[in-house]
Amino acid sequence: MLHLALRMAAHRITALLAVACAVLGGAALITTTGVLAESGLRSQLPPGRLAGADVVVAAEQEFHPSGDLPIALPERATVPARLVDRLAALPGVTAAVGDIGFPAALLDGHGRPVPVAQDPATAGHGWSSTRLLSGARVEGRAPSGAKTVAVDAAAADAAGLAVGDRVRVVADGRPAAAYRVSALVDAPGADGGVWFADGTAAALAGRSTGGEGPRAGTVDLVGLRAADGAGERVADAVRAEVAGTGLRVTTGADRGEAVAPGVGSARSLLILLAGSLGGIVLLITGFVVAGALGVTIAGQRRDLALMRAVGATPRQIRRLAAAQSTVVAALALVPGVAVGYLLAGRFRELLADRDVLPSELPLTVGPLPALATLLLVAAAVQLSARCAAWRTSRMPATEAVAESRSEPRTPSRARTTAGLLLILGACALSVVPLLSRTVLGASVTSVAGIVAAIGLAMSGPALVRSAGEAVVRRLRPGAAAPTWLALSNVRAYALRLSGVVSPLAMGVVFVLTYTLTQTTVLAATSDDTRTGTLAQYELTAPALGGLPDGTLSAVRDVPGVRAAAPAGTTTVVWEYDELGEPAAESASAMILAPDARGVVDLGVTDGGLDRLTGATVAVSAEAARTRDAGLGKRVRLVLGDGARVDARVVAVYDRGLGFGPVVLSRELAAGHTTTGLDQRALVRTDGTREAGRALAALAADRPGLAVASTAQDATGADAPPEVWVNLAVVVVLLGYLLLSIANKLVAATAQRRAEIAALRLVGTTPRQVRAMMRREAAVIAAAALVSGLLLSAVPLALLGQGFLGHPWPAGPSWLLPAVAATVALTSYLTIELPTRHALRTPPADALRTG
Amino acid sequence: MSTAALTAVTARRAPAIALDRVARTYPGGVRALDEVSLTVEHGTFLAVMGPSGSGKSTLMHCAAGLDSPTSGSVRIDGQEISGLNETRRTELRRERVGFVFQAYNLIPSLSVEDNVTLPLRLAGRRPDRDWLRTLTERVGLADRLSHRPAELSGGQQQRAAVVRALAAKPAVVFADEPTGALDLRSAHQVLDLLRALVDDLGQTVVMVTHDPAAAARAHRALVMADGRVVEALERPTAPQLAQRLVALGER
Repeated sequence: MLHLALRMAAHRITALLAVACAVLGGAALITTTGVLAESGLRSQLPPGRLAGADVVVAAEQEFHPSGDLPIALPERATVPARLVDRLAALPGVTAAVGDIGFPAALLDGHGRPVPVAQDPATAGHGWSSTRLLSGARVEGRAPSGAKTVAVDAAAADAAGLAVGDRVRVVADGRPAAAYRVSALVDAPGADGGVWFADGTAAALAGRSTGGEGPRAGTVDLVGLRAADGAGERVADAVRAEVAGTGLRVTTGADRGEAVAPGVGSARSLLILLAGSLGGIVLLITGFVVAGALGVTIAGQRRDLALMRAVGATPRQIRRLAAAQSTVVAALALVPGVAVGYLLAGRFRELLADRDVLPSELPLTVGPLPALATLLLVAAAVQLSARCAAWRTSRMPATEAVAESRSEPRTPSRARTTAGLLLILGACALSVVPLLSRTVLGASVTSVAGIVAAIGLAMSGPALVRSAGEAVVRRLRPGAAAPTWLALSNVRAYALRLSGVVSPLAMGVVFVLTYTLTQTTVLAATSDDTRTGTLAQYELTAPALGGLPDGTLSAVRDVPGVRAAAPAGTTTVVWEYDELGEPAAESASAMILAPDARGVVDLGVTDGGLDRLTGATVAVSAEAARTRDAGLGKRVRLVLGDGARVDARVVAVYDRGLGFGPVVLSRELAAGHTTTGLDQRALVRTDGTREAGRALAALAADRPGLAVASTAQDATGADAPPEVWVNLAVVVVLLGYLLLSIANKLVAATAQRRAEIAALRLVGTTPRQVRAMMRREAAVIAAAALVSGLLLSAVPLALLGQGFLGHPWPAGPSWLLPAVAATVALTSYLTIELPTRHALRTPPADALRTG
Repeated sequence: MSTAALTAVTARRAPAIALDRVARTYPGGVRALDEVSLTVEHGTFLAVMGPSGSGKSTLMHCAAGLDSPTSGSVRIDGQEISGLNETRRTELRRERVGFVFQAYNLIPSLSVEDNVTLPLRLAGRRPDRDWLRTLTERVGLADRLSHRPAELSGGQQQRAAVVRALAAKPAVVFADEPTGALDLRSAHQVLDLLRALVDDLGQTVVMVTHDPAAAARAHRALVMADGRVVEALERPTAPQLAQRLVALGER
């Protein structure tokens, strides 16, 4: 059977090229998604500043919901400081270091911050942490007392510092103080930093044992050095020692986990991304591969029918079709998977450039994505080849011979019904954004669009045929011959035509729904944020790791300032009951104080933000409704460092899209964030220019402060990175779709050589043939546009209604004309070129070989 | 082999084809076959004639197991086939039945040799090399085996189709207008070939045709009209058949 399959395949190179392209692109996309998913699950960060530690003990930085993937917790969870001495006493341990990281920045001579580490919020450490470095060269002596520091050699270079110089340091939000540089530390592979004497570091960070503050008496992690060859033994002993505390003991490549908890959440982002990509990639790949196979096998109907006549069983026909497609798919799969790995690398770079991913997070390159791709593509190919050959294979042999010259007489009823049901289902799906005004709810829109497009592909033949018949019936008898011919073809070859219309329509639906969903949600979100933000200015100190103490009171004293309030962002995991099942959702949450009322208007409908004291939260109306969290109710939350809290709802607000499902009181979040500093201050002035200037002067006067307008940039430059990621996805998938559509059209036209030749033999001039084909191209483009628009209309109207309050989406006005032009150009070129090619062959030859 | 011995052999075997009151009604109520009964013995050459729409093609399709009769019984080489499903019928067909079509129906992408061995391959059987060599030499295609169908003349293609029909040593070969698309000389060659297969190799051939000259090469000819066999002629002659057909046309 394989031999036959190969022989028949070799005869149909052009048609099979479409299959090969579809499989190649599909394999690349699935592999990319797979690599992202695998990296999200298993990527290992370099151990960085912990490279010298043999064993690292740190708190769990993941929340494990039942039956779901773990959720990364981005705020540092602490380890009791007394554990350091206990672990130091274990046999084989040569050193035990309680590592802490806190905001620290150097100031240069002009009072400008000099970056010493990638994340200034954890740049400060105790001197003993240098013992966890690997291969560090230290020039000078350890800092001692309260007024000396060691500095990263590269940063010192940049600031022109040498051992013995004096330097001003802002540590943990305290006013800048002068220190003497006692040492320069050059640690390759480790993020830089500023090292204080241990006692000073603990005091600055508020971590001293017996001190006050929520994090007193704790360290971030404990790093252990073991005697040579004792690493495993020590690790086992440590595991036994900390058993039952929930702490994690890591060695080897796993140590990278403990370096910075935020990076773990970047990994969850990869999983999330892969998850949301996966569905669409699989749908589109399956659709494209099935479509390409459909055209190829339709081109072989006669061969397959002949085989039926000479004794092939229906099963053999299907096996032959499947074997042939599998051979081609297998050839395309290898380069496809290779391209997929490369594409994943490019994608990671894109994400890292946009600061969606930390640049140090590597991709995991393993065989699993390739294997998964192999299985998925093979399954898709086998299934769609068998389905495509089903009808031919089931025909009685006599009919097989007779029918193979034209189309099957009627499109299968089951197929039409299933397609119509899918379209109806898609309409039902698109109601979701009306019910759930969340990003998740909005994402249903594009899925609904694509499901509808698949429905169209299935019911298309019947629809195209009835449309074609309606038009032909109304056609005036005097219509030009090419027009009449083109329309007759539309009617007679409904299956073939809908085979090319539906992928084009799918492209239209995909681009419209996917892009407009993004822009609509973005518009609704920024609308929420804009109307909800009363403050005109935002004050931050990115280079200092957080706003220095006293900034707020200073701001409030600036003339013209009406209100100033701190704000921050953290992550919470909300556990709730969903239809009786426990569910957990991780969400970004604002941290606000009771005075926030003066700077933000969340659209509070119940309660008030002024009650945000103690263990309280405000929740969005959406969340309150779906999670039984109305005013006065208690909600169970897991804060960013994994602490479980029970908080009372003191306000319910409307602008959940712009401000997230939950807002934490500042007092509730205190002690559960990595830095403990306010991330930013929102400032509302009287609106005069003087007030703005006074504020700018204040910022210029204090080191590291930056003042920015809260008004959004009209260019969309401040659009969240997810939007760019999604747009990149649209472009890549669209390219794939267009390629496959072009292939399919070329293959479909090439298969009509005999028909074109017959037309010429009966006296049709080449010009008339071209005119006929052009009219068919026009019909195809128009049908694809109209059906694509119709299919996207319902989901997008509902989306607009749900998010913007009017039944149309928001988005760039050039999108629709651009889509129309692309569709028209694609169908014109891909029909015109093969037609010209076919016309070059003398008709008699074409008939004989075709 | 003496005539008596031959009779003794055939007497022990079931007839190549036995139709008993076979009817075939198409959707829409067209009755293409009206309770036709018919027996074809091994080693005979039968021609089925009739005007267009007389049911001769349907008769062949039913007798060959390409189509299922609406009622009645069809036996091929003693094996009942009505009531078998599509797959079983296909399997039986490729064991016992060979086909020659008017349009040759060779698969363009396969070489002549691949085309000829295709039914065997589909049945998972190993071709009998000696038998194939005998056949290809006999039809004069021994040097054309690696060519594609498009590189052969119509007569050569039809002869290749005859070899394909015989490759599996079937109990009966059905030929549907085998000379319909051929010029006079090629048609003669193909008819000579069919006749020789019956006379020399003891094959059984059923040929559907509306060419009286072709039918005259058969041992026996049936004339059909309106789904029924209206006449059976032993050792027919072309003028005789032509006259019968003209008479039917004038009815």
